[in-house]
Amino acid sequence: MSAATIRCLLGMLGTDVHSKGIRTLAQLLRDRGVEVIYLGEHNTAAGMVNALLAEDPDVLGLSFSTATYVHYTRELLEKMRAAGVGDVPLMLGGLIHRDDEPELRAMGVRGIFGPGSTTLQILQFLRDVTGKPLPV
Amino acid sequence: MATDPDSLAETPPPSAADLAARIEDVSVKLSRTATWSGIETQAAYGPGDLKHHDYARDSGDPGQYPYTRGAYAQMYRSRMWTLRNIVGYGAPEDTRDGIAGALKMGTAGIDVVIDTLSQEAIDPDHPAFGADAGQEGCSLATVRDLEILLAGIDVTQTDVAWHSTMMIYPLVVAMALKQNRDLSKLLGSHMPDHLQLRLAGWSEAIVPAELGSRTTADCIEYSVKHSPRWALGCPQAYDLRERGVPASGEIAIGMAIAKQTLRDLAARGLGVDQVAPSLAWVSGSDIDFFEEVAKFRALRRIWARTMREQFGSQEPRAQRLRIACHTSGRSLVYAQPLNNLARATVQSLAALLGGVQALETCAYDEPICIPTEGARELATRTQQILAHEVGAARTADPLGGSYYVESLTDRVEADALALLAKIEGIGLIKAIEDGTVEGLMDEYNYGIQREIERGERIVVGVNKFQPKNEPPPQRFKFDPAHMAVHVRRFRQLKTDRDATLLRGKIDALYRVAQRRENSHPAMIDALMADASIGEVWGTVRVANGLPYDPFRVLDFPFDIPRL
Amino acid sequence: MAVSQPDLDAQGRDWVTAVRRGDVRRCARLITRIEARDETVTPIVQALYRQGGRSAVIGITGPPGAGKSTLVDKLIARYRARSQSVAVLAVDPASPFSGGAILGDRVRMARHNADDGVFIRSMSARGMLGGLARAAGDALCVLDAMGKDVILLETVGVGQSEIDIVRHALTVLIVQTPAGGDAVQAVKAGILEVGDVFALNKADAPGADRAVAALREAVEFRNDPHDANAWRPPIVQTQAPDGIGVDALLEALDGHLAHWRTHPEALRRRRLSQARSVLTDLVRDGLHRRHERGGESAARFAGMLDDLVDRRSDPHAAAARILTGLT
Repeated sequence: MSAATIRCLLGMLGTDVHSKGIRTLAQLLRDRGVEVIYLGEHNTAAGMVNALLAEDPDVLGLSFSTATYVHYTRELLEKMRAAGVGDVPLMLGGLIHRDDEPELRAMGVRGIFGPGSTTLQILQFLRDVTGKPLPV
Repeated sequence: MATDPDSLAETPPPSAADLAARIEDVSVKLSRTATWSGIETQAAYGPGDLKHHDYARDSGDPGQYPYTRGAYAQMYRSRMWTLRNIVGYGAPEDTRDGIAGALKMGTAGIDVVIDTLSQEAIDPDHPAFGADAGQEGCSLATVRDLEILLAGIDVTQTDVAWHSTMMIYPLVVAMALKQNRDLSKLLGSHMPDHLQLRLAGWSEAIVPAELGSRTTADCIEYSVKHSPRWALGCPQAYDLRERGVPASGEIAIGMAIAKQTLRDLAARGLGVDQVAPSLAWVSGSDIDFFEEVAKFRALRRIWARTMREQFGSQEPRAQRLRIACHTSGRSLVYAQPLNNLARATVQSLAALLGGVQALETCAYDEPICIPTEGARELATRTQQILAHEVGAARTADPLGGSYYVESLTDRVEADALALLAKIEGIGLIKAIEDGTVEGLMDEYNYGIQREIERGERIVVGVNKFQPKNEPPPQRFKFDPAHMAVHVRRFRQLKTDRDATLLRGKIDALYRVAQRRENSHPAMIDALMADASIGEVWGTVRVANGLPYDPFRVLDFPFDIPRL
Repeated sequence: MAVSQPDLDAQGRDWVTAVRRGDVRRCARLITRIEARDETVTPIVQALYRQGGRSAVIGITGPPGAGKSTLVDKLIARYRARSQSVAVLAVDPASPFSGGAILGDRVRMARHNADDGVFIRSMSARGMLGGLARAAGDALCVLDAMGKDVILLETVGVGQSEIDIVRHALTVLIVQTPAGGDAVQAVKAGILEVGDVFALNKADAPGADRAVAALREAVEFRNDPHDANAWRPPIVQTQAPDGIGVDALLEALDGHLAHWRTHPEALRRRRLSQARSVLTDLVRDGLHRRHERGGESAARFAGMLDDLVDRRSDPHAAAARILTGLT
């Protein structure tokens, strides 16, 4: 891993099982030179924070396809701040409704990639938020 | 250039550049010659493509082996397909309102979907995931919840389908027995296929492949013996397809699961002719019209031949496959959702021309939220228009004999059999546990996403013809008040119930599960004593050496001696 | 003759204190800098090395698909049941074309995420041709200094780079399966030389008995029949998903550690050999970075390469010229 490699932790919280989106994203990011640390489905907020502490990624990405993302995101951000990793940029993807975006951003979510978002948009976000160039 | 609808000023005529852009937008060019699943097609087909066909061997009349053309001779003239609508959200009383609404709309069949927690046999008071209760489906944790949901409904008179796998059948049976109903008359269906869950994003932690497979056999064994009128949706190939496989893959993996299950049951002394008639294949209907019709036909042919040639079936009812279909949710698009009405209509038509026995048309707002009542009504009307105006039901297998469709049927069949052989070569359980099957699915999805991002695969509204300035879609909202009551009620039940009686039932269940006997009678007993689904399934897990709670937050709450 | 270490500044000392305190975030941050080849943290790593050496480091490798992660997951549970703290360094191979990677080993150990006594870190091999072993070694210094009882260093493959990685470990566990002629592969790859304990996973698969026999033969062949004190690598049969054989495996690993305790001279020999490898790697790496071109300018160096390709020169001559330029 060179100094410029963007490291991204990807996972899902809660009982949501629709992981195909995040699995596909992991492959597409890998193709573009990102080091993806894949946490998979069914993480609790506490477990995810521990992984965040140990892996020290540049960005954390979560995918949601159920309607409870506002609740879980709030819970996660609270735990992140309590553990001292509240500064890690958080991006959300999946079925995020536009009406919820203001509340999510106010909470501290840095990137929101709802339906129709492209890999390129996500890569540009990663580049902007980490200050690291896109290698490929 | 935006125009003000209230302005009286004349709209200036479009510039040449504007016109060119608008024309480009409405032109329709052929972007793809392969089917949605990737099968290359010819510009035209003719008799030469079917030279090798033998009608009796490869098609048969509708209702005749190998049932390519349909399960019944008269198809919809003798029995109309069951029009179902999925309903489910919030607390049991919320869904009961939804059911009443659906019946008023003209739905013949109810299909209840359960929330993710209940689907995973997790109780609604789970400390880490309580927020998920009542979302995406109805929260059902105990027999008492079911009694509220089905108040006024006699389950030996009304056919209720359950879009769920784990624990729902024992819950229904427990309730029926509590109400002194005759189980042999129990109507309804569910989807006992656990391996499909394991592949569709439920990891080994939630559904271990081996325990899941064994529980599927337990459930089918119990049902075939005690509730012969209950239909068993196995394999549940809808979610397999949605997870990410081509049409042929849906057939291949579904057949692998079905065959594994039939072999497990044969080892328990239940032959194919005793079991297969109770099975129904749960299928999707995706966006490529001709490919889907071909898929349904190929599927029936493969099923019939497999039952007869590999399992020695002699009973037509075991060989002629019944198919329950839900049109694909994954193929619907979030942007400009009204376009999904067109998509769901075509998919529903494909299913009917494909000869399915039950059909659920996806609501157009499926990608956005739980379907609104308006959307569900339109889904029902779609089927009614197809039935009464379009003539979709008039004649059996109307596309049979089409050079194209017959060729496509053969091709889907060949691809399916090849993949099936590959999976069986590894062994289905092993192929699941070592990630081979999931790997195929990930690769398929990856390929599709790349094609979409490169513009090689056009999805209207996603990478072309995107709507401008769309208002955010409306969301389904329901009053969370009932959910709060429901969870309180659940906690109260745990305090009020007879703890000693329950402990005995849990102990008995533990021992049965430890001995790897059929867990269902003991599960039903425990549920009748007011155990929750989380407690019952958790006990089975513990007896199988797994943690009580797959998320490892809760410990086994019962004080029973454990070996 | 001890080689002195440059003094640490206040910041450096603070890092060392944080690591020894077990501050997870600081340790993780330090490992990130190590992975990024940030030379400014080298003095910190140096200090940690000098203060370390307490953790038991177990290296685990084997061909892909052998089920290592599942075994590691089970082993972690056993160590935790004994109240031992665990750190895992999971090294994954990277995508060769773009430099990206998907590190998914920790998914199989996900149940330990919520356990504060387990530290899991993923590391990719990308862009570090030869530098991976160094980075892994430096990361190990951090984990060792954290005070973890057991460090599991997990990688995948049976090639030279994997051997270089697990050489940092005091006990090397090789995980194989009966399928695919793993035993033959291993013999060819040299991994057999390095293994202290062998696990034959998926032991219920066809061909298991044959594979065990082949493995036993190959291992016996390398054993010195005259050395009564030598460790004889055991072969443990396991079925990771069901936890079968895990207790026996743990016993074998414990046994090897115990062997070191009762055979301090053998341990020292092993440690000396490791130190030599590590040192040689570092020196070679350093020399290469500093002197790849010898005294030649970039343009001359490029010209030398052209000459080689066009056969106006040959590799030996070119190398001799660079080496001469160095002295």
